[in-house]
Amino acid sequence: MSRAETTQTALDPALLFKVVFLAVVAVVVLVPLLATVLGGFKSLGELRVNPFGLPDHWEWQNYADILLSARYWQLLRNSLIISTLAVTLTLIVASMAAFTFAHVRFYGSSMLLSYLTLGLLFPAATAVLPLFIRVRDLGLLDTYLGVALPQVAFSLAMSVLLLRRFFKDIPYELLEAALVDGCSYIKFFRYVTLPLSRPILATVGTITFVNSWNAYLLPLVMLNTDALYPWPLGIMVYQGEYSSEWNLILTFITLTILPTIIFFLLAQKHIVAGLTSGAVKG
Amino acid sequence: MARRIASSPTIGVAETSFSPLVVRGPSWDGRFTVLVLFLPPALLLFTLFVVLPIGEAGWYSAFNWNGFGRPTNWIGFDNYRFVFQTRAFWLALRNNGMIIVVSLAIQLPLALSLALMLAERFRGAVALRMLFFMPYILAEIATGLIFSFVYDGDYGLVASIWRTFGAEPPHLLASTDTAMLAVLIVIVWKYFGFHMMLFIAALQSLDKSLIEAARIDGATRSQTLRHVIIPLLYPTIRLSVFFAIIGSLQLFDLVMPLTRGGPADSSNTLVSFLYNNGISRMRVGYGSAIGVILFVICVTFAFTYKRWFMRDE
Amino acid sequence: MRLLGRLELAAAACLLWANAAAADTIVKWLHIEQDPSQVKVWEEVARAYEASHPGVKVEMQYLENEAYKAKLPTILQSKDRPNIIYSWAGGVLKAQIEADVLEDITDQVKGYSDSLTPAALAAFTSNGRIYGLPTAVSQVGFLCNKELMAKAKVDPAGIKSWDDLLAAVKTLKAAGVTPIVVGGADKWPLHFYWTYLAVRIGGKPAFDAALRGENGGFAGETFQKSGELFKQLVDLQPFQNGFLGFKNPQAVGYFADGNAAMTLAISTVYQSQRALAADKVGLSEEKMCWFDFPVVAGGKGAPSDTLGGITGWLITKNSPKEAVDFLKYFISKDVQTRLAAGNFIIPVVQGADAGFKSSFMKRIAANLAKSNYHQNFYDQSLGPSVGRVVNDVTAEIAGGSMSPKDAAQAIEAAWKQGN
Repeated sequence: MSRAETTQTALDPALLFKVVFLAVVAVVVLVPLLATVLGGFKSLGELRVNPFGLPDHWEWQNYADILLSARYWQLLRNSLIISTLAVTLTLIVASMAAFTFAHVRFYGSSMLLSYLTLGLLFPAATAVLPLFIRVRDLGLLDTYLGVALPQVAFSLAMSVLLLRRFFKDIPYELLEAALVDGCSYIKFFRYVTLPLSRPILATVGTITFVNSWNAYLLPLVMLNTDALYPWPLGIMVYQGEYSSEWNLILTFITLTILPTIIFFLLAQKHIVAGLTSGAVKG
Repeated sequence: MARRIASSPTIGVAETSFSPLVVRGPSWDGRFTVLVLFLPPALLLFTLFVVLPIGEAGWYSAFNWNGFGRPTNWIGFDNYRFVFQTRAFWLALRNNGMIIVVSLAIQLPLALSLALMLAERFRGAVALRMLFFMPYILAEIATGLIFSFVYDGDYGLVASIWRTFGAEPPHLLASTDTAMLAVLIVIVWKYFGFHMMLFIAALQSLDKSLIEAARIDGATRSQTLRHVIIPLLYPTIRLSVFFAIIGSLQLFDLVMPLTRGGPADSSNTLVSFLYNNGISRMRVGYGSAIGVILFVICVTFAFTYKRWFMRDE
Repeated sequence: MRLLGRLELAAAACLLWANAAAADTIVKWLHIEQDPSQVKVWEEVARAYEASHPGVKVEMQYLENEAYKAKLPTILQSKDRPNIIYSWAGGVLKAQIEADVLEDITDQVKGYSDSLTPAALAAFTSNGRIYGLPTAVSQVGFLCNKELMAKAKVDPAGIKSWDDLLAAVKTLKAAGVTPIVVGGADKWPLHFYWTYLAVRIGGKPAFDAALRGENGGFAGETFQKSGELFKQLVDLQPFQNGFLGFKNPQAVGYFADGNAAMTLAISTVYQSQRALAADKVGLSEEKMCWFDFPVVAGGKGAPSDTLGGITGWLITKNSPKEAVDFLKYFISKDVQTRLAAGNFIIPVVQGADAGFKSSFMKRIAANLAKSNYHQNFYDQSLGPSVGRVVNDVTAEIAGGSMSPKDAAQAIEAAWKQGN
């Protein structure tokens, strides 16, 4: 893989261009993020005159206030509950359906699969008003489930497709042998398919989790009580309240994206694999 | 569409031990149980929250209805007429078009060239990949807020750069001339890394022997790139274009913290237009009509795209 | 520190939730008041009520103004909806009544309702039934910064006509002062100009005629002309840089920080600007001036006509009767006098104006008393969806993307669509 020529000609203009180009892009990506993190350590007055640099005087109060606030933890907790609900339900429901599509031959199988695939074609936003009415009529307005269930439904299409493709790679002979041995489909699913499919389950789980964690429109429409707000809603409310106090808002942003960044650094592989495998809005 | 994750199915089997089982009837019974137990939850959820709402959107769009009680005021296709008469709708449509154009003309070449640079192994390549991918994993809401700070006319980064040159800082998000431009920049910032990763994944799975063969035949770097690598990437390019367009059609979260679609509707996307004019005013009929229009656009696009560009997949 | 205050609030809310198990009646009260000093008074009132009414808990919830307006339709549909909600009366209230989401409280307020100013109560009455209680009235007008006006040698008392205002803007600009600050991103602060001009040009008859669809409705001459006059002002570029990106609280803060000479605002801003100032002190009474919206030459409206709000509280359907009871307690002469003394409100309970301490409040109250035509905010009185169109198009005129004629026609079209 390594190209010998890149090391040989150190002053190659193409290489120089490459280095400069990469550096510029890196700066453009980094600066807004760093300014956000550092902005939280500045007073409002300093932020105005010195938005880029390190703070002259490190203001720990902003971060401490928010970290010690019930509000911050409540937002994260709500997000976590909703996302966990969405991930758990998606994994259970989608893997069961995917298993059926992968291993059980029945009349109408391909038709039903195409039916589910319809979900890939349009975003939840298209039907969000009727969805709201439906959730209201089910009495789920202003509940975690009212947000999580539509999220699950909209993630089903992609999840079932990904899982089914993986399940299909499990040799059919294995299933046949198991059936002959008296193992039921359900036991096979539980004790063979699922343990073998950890990587894909992790991928699907990650996709669903990230989508749900970051979601804004559905919770915005379905939730009214701020005690139930996930963090994207909460941070918008916070920004509305502190309109011009950017140092506080930046602190709040930093602290709310922190879990995402930690999660990303810990699970890079799954996230990159998962997200580029085509599920997420991009 | 998805990259498969290689794993060896046989390892797990050895670990799994079956408990002796009660002998079941013919295997059809087992299948029946699975069909009855495993399929309905998915179908039910999907039907209830995806398919029926789309159908209902079509039904509701024929009413003038504020969402209370049941719809009774039938007005036929008037809502569609109202939507088409709204200037903001056409602006939103134009903005969605602009997002697609910018994605194709700027973001895609940027992502592709970065991928070509970073697909090779050198010190720092992986770190740079991760860095460039970082904006993509941030929530759109957070990204939007970060950039509403960047663009802020008093405290923002842009303002501070302007002031060092002694100029009166612009309020980019507050002018009908620049708001959409500012949003477009954020879109590129946020999504180029995703497309870059798509290309890197594709580059890494390319058949190296083809490239080597071209080299041996005396092709220069740029010739190899133009005549071998890029053609091999066509499927990924098509995929990237597909995501860019679908992404444009559902863009909402990013716009809200930046401009809420304003000023004067100049930076609405179709979805933010739907939110501002349908949902937040609880005009269920009107909003459903917008939803149906969006649905038709998405489905038409998906089918056309599949037929014309993704035939081989 | 403000955050800590909120924390305590959140903690208190949690405790209240926990107490729900103890079979207390909970009255959920959703408000949009941003000024912590006023909220503090309210809380004291709520706690006092709880103390004298064992078994009843008043739980306060807060939503930011814009968020509230956007969420209200969905809030009203939720099972867990608040019992007491804020209202600007008008067409929005009418739509809510038609949608049958409000409690008819006529019988519960019998007798008590006599203590209220009849005009204010009328705003919450429909077909003889009462659906809510007014809590305050307000007037829209120009708040100004004495120092900045003096710097440009503009005499606020001399601004009587629209042309005077245009001249003042020019003078202020020439003196290097930002003439007017406005929260254009929220749109409704801009709609004050357009509406007040319509009130001045056509008076009450024009509005009534437009509602009946006469004289071309809202596409008629009066409303086109108010757009044109507004455009005259816009063309002078009187607003702060980036005004279309300012939310109202930011704009008020900008005025409170002494960065602009004038702002067309609701009279309550006189007090609420303090909390929104960067230093949380804002402009003191001596530093502020006020003048009524200028008259238009040849206009049919009387100079004493006012634009403003009649705001109050509604009771949502199936709320406990304690909600109304608390509201009666909250809108009592005592509390209203106290709020009037704090410069928070122009009261609606008769006799509570005795609480006034500032000459400003007295002046606004006197203006409202002598006004024969008090026009409620258009964005509220025209109903939820048409009102929003009024806001949309005035922002478009201000942004230069729509002509006054098209703007008037867009409103008429929305009015005809009726949704």
